[in-house]
Amino acid sequence: MSGVWTLARKEVKAAFRDNVFLIITGLFVVLSIISVYIGSSTKNAEMRAYQDIVQMLKSQVAASLPPAPAIYPLAILSNIINYVCMIGAVVAIFLGFESFSGERNAGTLRLIAVRPVYRDQIVTGKLLGGGMVIGLLLAVILVFNLALFMVVSGLSPNANEMGRLIVFFILAFLYMSSFYVTTLYVSIRTDDSAFGFMLMMIIWISISYVLPQLADSQRNFAYALNTTAQTVTQVPSDTVVSKTIEIFSPAAQFQNVGKDLLQVVPETAVQGVFRVIQRQIGALVNILLPGLVLLFLSYRAAQREDAL
Amino acid sequence: MLVTEKLGKKYGEFSAVEDLSLEVAEGSIFGFLGHNGAGKTTTISMLTTLILPTSGRASIGGFDVVKDNLKVRSMIGYLPESVTLYGDLTATENLRFFGRLSGVEHLDANIEEVLKLLDFTGWKDRKVKTYSKGMRQRIGIAQAILHRPRILFLDEPTSGLDPRGTKDMRDILLKLNAEWGTTIFMNTHLLSEVTKVCTDIGIISKGRLLLADSLDTIKKKFPEEKSLEEIYFRIEVGKR
Repeated sequence: MSGVWTLARKEVKAAFRDNVFLIITGLFVVLSIISVYIGSSTKNAEMRAYQDIVQMLKSQVAASLPPAPAIYPLAILSNIINYVCMIGAVVAIFLGFESFSGERNAGTLRLIAVRPVYRDQIVTGKLLGGGMVIGLLLAVILVFNLALFMVVSGLSPNANEMGRLIVFFILAFLYMSSFYVTTLYVSIRTDDSAFGFMLMMIIWISISYVLPQLADSQRNFAYALNTTAQTVTQVPSDTVVSKTIEIFSPAAQFQNVGKDLLQVVPETAVQGVFRVIQRQIGALVNILLPGLVLLFLSYRAAQREDAL
Repeated sequence: MLVTEKLGKKYGEFSAVEDLSLEVAEGSIFGFLGHNGAGKTTTISMLTTLILPTSGRASIGGFDVVKDNLKVRSMIGYLPESVTLYGDLTATENLRFFGRLSGVEHLDANIEEVLKLLDFTGWKDRKVKTYSKGMRQRIGIAQAILHRPRILFLDEPTSGLDPRGTKDMRDILLKLNAEWGTTIFMNTHLLSEVTKVCTDIGIISKGRLLLADSLDTIKKKFPEEKSLEEIYFRIEVGKR
């Protein structure tokens, strides 16, 4: 265990000494903070506008007042779903793309492998180190954003909302970790770090942009038939094809679950957190399964002689 | 200290090393000579447990390199041909990392001792990426001897070093052997270095060991040849 811990600590230290990684990470943190600030300010403006209207109607002695807009506090934080989905994945790729191939080229992997440690401990150490960096990063974002959200919006989440938020960050951790694991596998199997990085960027673009757009284009083929008026109207909605395409995109799945958890979907906004998890169990499996398969493959690939 | 019996490594049909039988005595400095692609690095990789032999066996200090690989690893030190270590970490941080992996007790004291031995204390807190090739090689040696290995494997230790760096490396190896009694197994194709450092040599060509003996005995066996270079070419040509 001490070997694993030593390797993990080195990974953390090396990550926070890498200037490019620090820049991408800084960008991720700053963007998420800006998004919370904008979300909170927009919600405040919306509430002020509503109060102004109520005030005006009251001064005109109106018979009825419009209902207050429903406020789901976590929806203010919803932009973070996209940032985790896009930049968070890139942070994880950047963290892992040289983890094996870079060390192999520098000769340090052989220096580790002649120590009394097993190869699966090397993989575990790297996973633990990468996981610690991702976890630390998300914890910082959670604390900063929550504090900013409470200060700017003047709202504070209740127990259920807090539970939703924590589950969302755990899910974000698993989503980013699955990118890290995939990158680790690619790094074990390729000698060329640049090639590994490019391959991961193609995978990232495919599952984050191409597949969701394909699913979207399929949604546009959904039509509603109005039998009374004898008309056919285009009504974008989920189809069997769009849902099937989304299965292959953990990014789309993550966005769907994230929107549920962060109260973007009004129908599920007041449900308990366990009910939301239950509802999205299929999507959760689709997010976690590729990472688990690649985790297994990484351990196997590290045993090969050419891994060093 | 090191014994191999008909050790071999095949990659498909290609034999990188074949029937290698060798003994290296404790406290000796063994120079493993051969041209590029002769099988030196493959041999050292098998002896350091990095790759598995496809035939034969090898043991270090009585422990089999395949069955008792963890025990073997705790007894050996290794410096590959070109190693850059972790450039963003300082020498001390690099040594602390490798020392912890080797399970070194009293790590800080050991690091101080090794850096003193290598005359490197003034540079220990600078990032490795700022070092010259010679300095990196010194830290490479430091990580290899930090846990006081019984045998040190070096793959072309003077490759790419300037004359000053080469001499420094030679002095370090002789000092290690004399003061710590460390057995040294070094791959090289620099014959001039071998005569200045090694007590024993082995010559390998196309994966086969052509000769292995003490340097003095070999010189006696070839009285007509004036230098090790002439002996080397005589053996090499004679086998062709």
